Amino acid sequence: MALLFSETTSIKKAVAKINSIENPKYARILSRILQKIHLKDERPFSAEEEEKLQGVLNLDSSDVSLVLETTAFFVEQAAYHLAKPAVLSQQLKNIGLNEEKVTLFEKSWTSQAKDVVERLRKKTLIPNQLQEVNWRMNLQMAQADRTKMKTPNAMFELVVSQDDGGKDRIQMEFNHEQLYQFYSQLETIQSQLDALT
Amino acid sequence: MSSHGRPQMNSKLGDESRTPFWGIKTPLEIKVMAKSLKDVKKPTFRKLLKAAVSYIESPEIPSDFLDAINGETNIPSETVASIFSGILSILKAAFRVPPTSLRQEAFKSDLKSLRMPEEFIEDLTSAVYGAKRNAIDETLSNPSSKLPGLERLRWRVDVAISNSALSRVLEPTVFMEITLSDGSMKKVEVPMTKFHELRYNVSSVLKEMEELEKRSILKIQD
Repeated sequence: MALLFSETTSIKKAVAKINSIENPKYARILSRILQKIHLKDERPFSAEEEEKLQGVLNLDSSDVSLVLETTAFFVEQAAYHLAKPAVLSQQLKNIGLNEEKVTLFEKSWTSQAKDVVERLRKKTLIPNQLQEVNWRMNLQMAQADRTKMKTPNAMFELVVSQDDGGKDRIQMEFNHEQLYQFYSQLETIQSQLDALT
Repeated sequence: MSSHGRPQMNSKLGDESRTPFWGIKTPLEIKVMAKSLKDVKKPTFRKLLKAAVSYIESPEIPSDFLDAINGETNIPSETVASIFSGILSILKAAFRVPPTSLRQEAFKSDLKSLRMPEEFIEDLTSAVYGAKRNAIDETLSNPSSKLPGLERLRWRVDVAISNSALSRVLEPTVFMEITLSDGSMKKVEVPMTKFHELRYNVSSVLKEMEELEKRSILKIQD
């Protein structure tokens, strides 16, 4: 396995700070970072929380940032290389992280690597994601120029996320035949997906 | 409520008690038309009737059509116009219900009550019950107002190999380009879980629609 971390000055300094943090406190920091690592636009801790951390950890602002960024970097590297827990802990040991913290990493990574990697796999660059599928089926009974009709139709609404954080709603109407056509196309796509596995 | 207080209409099933196919109140244009027909010759009436039928199929009419009739016949333009709109009203009201619900005899007797000349009643009857009826029903039973339909669906299946956070991703996604009948085009990435949701929903609506069509309520002729 490739080397995940090299012992730069900055990492040496960060490791020293991390070693000095009490285990339960660091466990909570690590757990938060593991939860938030896949989010593009959100930092694991808000500015306000980072300020509180200074008091709790007895570190100044730049040291808090260093600890958080380095911890995130450890997690990112482990995820990127899909590192096995044993490999991760060996390499963390090599850069001088103390026994307790290494154990903490190894345990967390053993239990959470799968979820973290799964969330990272879903990362995408395309903002327009299908989020919701809504539908309604109707039986049309009459209209302005016609009574006593019995025409079933289905309305579909696809809710799609937008770049600006808003939502687009694609609304479509299908009669029986059109809906069948649509269904056939989805089946074709499904057969392509089945062929992948 | 005592049965004595009820209007007598229910007990009488004769022709006079039936509501005319155009409704309880005879529309003004139909009344005006019936009165204006006395000076109208058969070829003129047929021309107007033919124009009204094609207007129902696609609502446009040459701008000089009514003037041309006026020129040929010396019937004032306003009268020509009111006859045309009367015919149109009659046709629309008749086409609104399926032929099984409005029998020919009833249709004729409603028109007779307007004191229209017999030959015009015959012409209207063949327009409503003639060979073209199926085509007109077909046109009219297309939903008139609706959401846009799905004009075209182009898609591709992508498998992400790696990304900035992972050296190996191997996650398939479906990318869809949806073109609607109103001309708009949408591009959507559909993650696997959502694709399954979409496919499940479409297939269950399709199934429900099939079941609905099988149900006897749809087979009742009225």
